This record gives sequence, structure tokens and C-alpha cells, in this order.
Amino acid sequence: MPDDAIVARGLTKVYGKLTAVDHVDMNVRRGGIFGLLGPNGAGKTTIIKLLTGLSDPTEGEASVAGFDIRRQPMHVKRRIGWVAAEVILDDDLSGWENLWLQAKLQRLTDWKARAEELLRYFDLSDRKGDRVGTYSTGMRKKMEIALALLHQPEVVFMDEPTIGLDPNVRRMLWKLITGVNREFGVTVLLTSHYIEEADALCDHVAIIDRGRFVAAGTPAELKARIRNDFLDFETAADVSEAQLRSLPGVVEAHPQGKGWILKVGSAEETLPHLFAAFPNGAIQRVNIEKPSLESVFIDITGKRIDQAGADVQDFRKFYLNVRRARQ
Amino acid sequence: MTAAHRFGGWPRSGDGPTSDFVPQGSQFYGLYARELIKTFRNPLVLLITFVQPFMWLAFFGSSFSAVPVAQLDALLKAPPGTPYLDFLLPGVLATSMLTIGMFGSMSTIQDKRFGFMKRVLLTPTGRSTVYLSKALGSATRGMVQIPVMLAAALVFGVRIHGDPLMWAGWLFGLILLGFGFSAFFLAVTASSTDWQTPGVISNFITMPLMFASGALFPAQNYPAWMQAIARVNPVSFSALLGRGVVVNGTANWLYLGYLGVFAALMVGVGTLVASRYLKVE
Repeated sequence: MPDDAIVARGLTKVYGKLTAVDHVDMNVRRGGIFGLLGPNGAGKTTIIKLLTGLSDPTEGEASVAGFDIRRQPMHVKRRIGWVAAEVILDDDLSGWENLWLQAKLQRLTDWKARAEELLRYFDLSDRKGDRVGTYSTGMRKKMEIALALLHQPEVVFMDEPTIGLDPNVRRMLWKLITGVNREFGVTVLLTSHYIEEADALCDHVAIIDRGRFVAAGTPAELKARIRNDFLDFETAADVSEAQLRSLPGVVEAHPQGKGWILKVGSAEETLPHLFAAFPNGAIQRVNIEKPSLESVFIDITGKRIDQAGADVQDFRKFYLNVRRARQ
Repeated sequence: MTAAHRFGGWPRSGDGPTSDFVPQGSQFYGLYARELIKTFRNPLVLLITFVQPFMWLAFFGSSFSAVPVAQLDALLKAPPGTPYLDFLLPGVLATSMLTIGMFGSMSTIQDKRFGFMKRVLLTPTGRSTVYLSKALGSATRGMVQIPVMLAAALVFGVRIHGDPLMWAGWLFGLILLGFGFSAFFLAVTASSTDWQTPGVISNFITMPLMFASGALFPAQNYPAWMQAIARVNPVSFSALLGRGVVVNGTANWLYLGYLGVFAALMVGVGTLVASRYLKVE
């Protein structure tokens, strides 16, 4: 039995000219919650597709739950669960029928007691006979997690589990994900572009940008690397990098969008000088980033996470919105 | 921890189980049942399925009612006095099997676009299992038309010849035809994710196969090139088998054999195509 639920070495996926995943090495320990944090288009979903056998790697190898993803994808699939970014259920079927179908697809014979237990755990028991098309967003998400857990998987993949959800549902899901991890003893690999989500849930985080792991460790380890604050401000005024770097405490300056990101020793020390350097009202917005996973990302890539992927068209989100509009 | 230790549990070629086979019966049953549930829960689908054959018989079947008997006999090359409706019934049933694959491939494309295909393929379910369940599912949906059509035919006064064995053979041939065409349809659209594809393909194949067959008119009246198509057209096999039973009370079992070969070929080739090219999303 390997110690790690997921191991990858040199995992690479190339689509035409685009290298979506670029020589990724990873170890996910059993029973942990591992987060892939990065902007849209960084390659997080592609990594999940590779590890779940939906897509073949161009190069490299990986094992999930002890099985090789290339040679034994079917054995991998018997041991994994999957929670999609957009909730994917058969809306024409009832909750119980969705569970029944999942049981058939996973070749389970003795599943009803487990299904009832999951429905109780997720508080869905009294709606199990209703079509899932009539469920609320939170209930649908819970139903999807129940499906992912039905066959007692060793690893559950969650692709952007809280994307597009309102803050209340998000918090409820965070609680559920940590609860599921603890009580059902499953390893969770989740992707997210929400800093606070990775910070709140994951015991290990890998920061990913343009298909590469740029940093990995526990959130505390990652934050401890950063001894600087970041100042992120917008201005219409013309200013050069050299001018900004001459301000007291500024270590680096990167242009971003309509403004700049400054790496500084201490935000409190630099702020008065920053305002003094500009005419009144020329600075429209200032954001102070104390050491956090966000500042780790900024430190390594020179960009904010929500900016880095802004140039990538996110078709998935588009379809998600189309589906919402239809419902 | 050394790399060797980390990789210690990996099944390498030459050691440990190398087979990746997982039996597919349970998955097939689940997916096929899902197709049926979805069909029979949709009242509109059922209504159209039931009404369509009725309309064929009512409108097309009545279009020769004022033609003098002698002229009709000459046209149909059938025993004297055979009503067009009797002649038409097996043909309409055969042509209705042409389009049933369209539903299966439309629902496959819907599954791809809504991500359901991903949900299925992230379980130990093979692409060929998905394909076969869809093909059989849409063939089954098409079969629903047969009893409705037969009842309608009786209402419209079709006289029935032949014995129960012949009837069973004819109906079995229809099932083979429907299964073959839905297998064909799903294989052709396996890699498609576009809503429009099934409709376009349906229009493209339905028209020539419907008319270049003995389904609606006797092929003897056709020009040579259309007769050539009609001779190898599986729609003809089913129509001629059924016409023998309904009109003359005879069955040419060779046609059933041809239909068996057609279905086996379509399903076999289709399974190979789908296991390689069935797209996930």
C-alpha cells in the first residue's frame, strides 16, 4: 500500500501548441485535503482530467489509489469520486434514482443502507423521491457529493466545488467538505481560484500558474515564506517603475491593469509616502495584502490570482451561466 | 522518503494485475433503464411517438383512395384488389425505423453538453457500454410505435394474412432494422457535440433510403439506378418481408437473414468506432 493517495511524476498535457500541464510532480497523502490553487486556465481542471483517466497524459506518469492512470484507468475509476464545478445530475430522475444509477455504474450490490446514511448525513432524506430538477442549488450540490461518496471511494476530486455559489452555501459546503474528509476518511483533491477557500479547507496547497506548480506546502509554510506586504493600487496618473521603486520600503513594482502592485517591507510604512507622491485624488483604490496565499501568488507571479487568468476565455463558466438562465 | 518507496505500490508492467477489465453488465443495465425512464416520463415524446404512425396511415395511406382499382393493381404489382393501405403498412413501419436513431444521438449530445457523459465515464463504464445502451435505448423507443401502428392499421381496415410465426419473424426483423439504424446513427455522431448534427444526418439519409426502397411503392417501377439502391437497402428487406406476410401470407426468410447481417454489422462497427471516438464533452 503506498503512503500517498495520489502520486504524479512529470505529468504533462499538451493540446496543440498549448502546454496545459507542464511536468507536474505531486504527492497527496492519504486522508488529506489537497488544494490546487490558481487562476482560471492555469491547468487545474486538466490535472483532474488526467488523474481521473478522462484524458491521457502526453508525458509523465501518475497513480491514484495505488493504480496507474494509464494502464489501469478502470481500477482507478472504481476508487474515485468526482464532484463537478457545475452540478451534474440527471434532472429527470429523482434523488434516489440518481443514487440507484450511480450504484449500477459502480457495480454496487449492497448500497441502499449506505445511500440512506448519506441522505441522512446530507439532510436530503425527505426529498429523495423528488426529481432533482426541483432541488435548490445547495441541495443539488449535496446530492452530487452523496453520489461521489456512494461507492466508498478512496479519493474524491472536487473541481471548483463552490464556484458561482452564494456565500452561505459556500460556507455550508466548506463545513461539509471537511466533515466528509474526517468522517468518511476520504482523501480530497480540490481545485479553486478562491484564496480563502484553499486557506480554510486544505492541509496542503499547490499554487499553479500556466500549467506549472510554482509553490507547494501547507498554507502556513507558504505564508511563512513571505516577509513582505503588497500594495495594490489603481491610478490614472502617469508614473514610472523607477519612481515607485524610489519610495521608502518598496522592493518591487509591477504594473497591473489600471495600476500597480508594490512589494513593500511594511504596508503601514510605505502608504503615507505613496499618497504623498501623487497629487490629491490620483489614487483611486488601494488594497493592502498582508502575508496570505494571495500574496504568495503575487510574490511568485507578480499578478493577483483573479487577474492572471482574466485573458483566458472561460467557456465552462459561460455554459454554467447559460444553464442557470435556462432553469 | 525515497522515490522508490513512494512508487513502491505502483503496478508495473510484469508485476501485479495487468488486466484493466471490469465487467459491464450492471452499467449497461443502469444506463439502458435510464433511457427508458427518460422516454416514458416525457408525455410529449410519447404522444408524438404514438401519433406519428397514425398520421402516416391516415394521410399517405388515403392519398390513393380515389384511384380506380385496376390502375392501383397495375401500379402496386400486388394481388388484384389489394388496398394501398395494406401495401403501405409494412413500408411505413420500416421507414419509421430510419429516424429512431436520431433521438438516441440527440440525447447523447445532450449528455455530453451537460457533462453527464463525464459523470458516467468517471465510473468504470466503457465507452462501448454507453454506446450500446444508447443504441438499444433508442431502438426500444422506436419499437413503441409498432403496436400502435398495428392497432391503427386494424382501425383503418387492413386485412391480416400469415401465421403467428411469420408475424413474429417480421416484427423481429423490424427490431433488427431499428437497432441497426440507431447503431449507425450513434456511431456517426459519436464525436459530435453539435445539436444540429443528428437532424442534418437524419434528413440526409432518410430521404434517399425511404424512396430508394420498396417501402412506399414497388421498386419495379423505379429506374435502374434506384432499383440498384433498393436491392441493398435494408428498408426494402423489412418492407418486402412484411408485405409478404400482410398481403400474401408468405414470408421470405432470406430478408430476415439480411436484416440480421445489417444489424450485426452496424452494431459491430459502431461499437469499435464509439470505443475510440465517443467524445466526453
